[in-house]
Amino acid sequence: MKTNSIIEAKKGFFEIALKVNGERRELSVRNGEFLLDALRRHGWKGVKKGCDTGDCGSCTVILNGKPVLGCLVPAVAAHGGELTTIEGLGSVRSPHPLQEAFVEAGAVQCGFCIPGMILSSKHLLDNNPSPTEAEIRKALDGNLCRCTGYVQQVEAVKNAAKKMKRTSN
Amino acid sequence: MPDIIVKPPNLKELWKLLPGLPSARRYLAGGTDIVTADNAGAEHSECWIDISGIPELLGIKETAGSVFIGSGVKIAEIAASKAARRWCPALTAAIPHFASPSLRNMATLGGNAANASPCADGVCALISEGAYVLLATKGGRRRLPLKDIFLGPKRTTLKKDELITGFEVPKRPHAGAYLKLGPRSYFGISKAAVAVAAELSGGAVKKARVALGSVAPVPLYAAKTSAWLAGRKLSAPVIEEACELVKTEVSPITDTRSEAAYRREMCGVLLGRALNSLR
Repeated sequence: MKTNSIIEAKKGFFEIALKVNGERRELSVRNGEFLLDALRRHGWKGVKKGCDTGDCGSCTVILNGKPVLGCLVPAVAAHGGELTTIEGLGSVRSPHPLQEAFVEAGAVQCGFCIPGMILSSKHLLDNNPSPTEAEIRKALDGNLCRCTGYVQQVEAVKNAAKKMKRTSN
Repeated sequence: MPDIIVKPPNLKELWKLLPGLPSARRYLAGGTDIVTADNAGAEHSECWIDISGIPELLGIKETAGSVFIGSGVKIAEIAASKAARRWCPALTAAIPHFASPSLRNMATLGGNAANASPCADGVCALISEGAYVLLATKGGRRRLPLKDIFLGPKRTTLKKDELITGFEVPKRPHAGAYLKLGPRSYFGISKAAVAVAAELSGGAVKKARVALGSVAPVPLYAAKTSAWLAGRKLSAPVIEEACELVKTEVSPITDTRSEAAYRREMCGVLLGRALNSLR
């Protein structure tokens, strides 16, 4: 794919190159496919498909340092980009402090909104290590949760901020 | 999604590409409106022209007399710009009300205008700032008051292939406010919204511009109310009268989001709060 000329699908597929969770990857993506669907098809199932209309935030991924919604980004537009999904944050054996804090606070019920919520929170804490409750709520206002009522999640982000500060000191 | 997506690296290449493209084509910037419309089957293009790589559309630049905001500037970037915060107070105040944080990382100010929705937060705020829109076609450029390009929902006076390159906000020391009434505090589409920018001198208004969202077929510049405020002191009775006047300028409808009578009433309430915040 050349970015400065007409991009046309070959037999319905485009080849895109990008970094996913720090690893260089080449992905073939379908013509008309969005980043969300392409990522899930290639095995990143942590990216959740909720509303598919840019409203719920479940498909939040960090593209070139900013949280964006995978359901609204044509997969080809991620060509050359750097992407972080929930799989890039931590593992079951060594979870990210945010992941730990979410579990400890009981912030996860059905879990569907959590990957997006944790990625939005990560972006917040990367840029603002000691957010106020109002700042946390603002940062998460594009991530809808139908189980918890948000109280535990806000708590979890506060606790994670404290944890991350302790480890960085 | 269309079969063809092109991504010209600059304006010159864009004009060269155009004649070879299918005629059902649209510019794609942040994609937050066009993609959802396409997914819903509300519009179908054969070709999207991805303008996100065109450097002429990027950046916020301060010149002697104005602030230029590129049409490709993401909404989140505006909040981070010193020049915008200093010279575009109503626009800056509108940012937290604009969709959600992730959408603000994607959506552009140019797209907000090109989409021509009467509820566009960015557009309403820019109109109150007295902004001009900069347009380009192959071999031609225009500069128009932003308030004049809207014809109705999703309709503008832009010609085929005419591209919004940016916005120009004249540098005037003024105060601004943006208030939005939606179904919840954040991440909602407005029932009514009011943007006010005012040049003040000793408690009196030298010049004011009032713009309203979601209460007319277009993002509305309230010409009568704006003119009436000029030269008046922002006292309680003056604010009360302005609130009554603005209700005569709007033409809201009843739809899924709200009711006409309520919307009209709220225009007065929001304008009152906005003017009071500037006192």
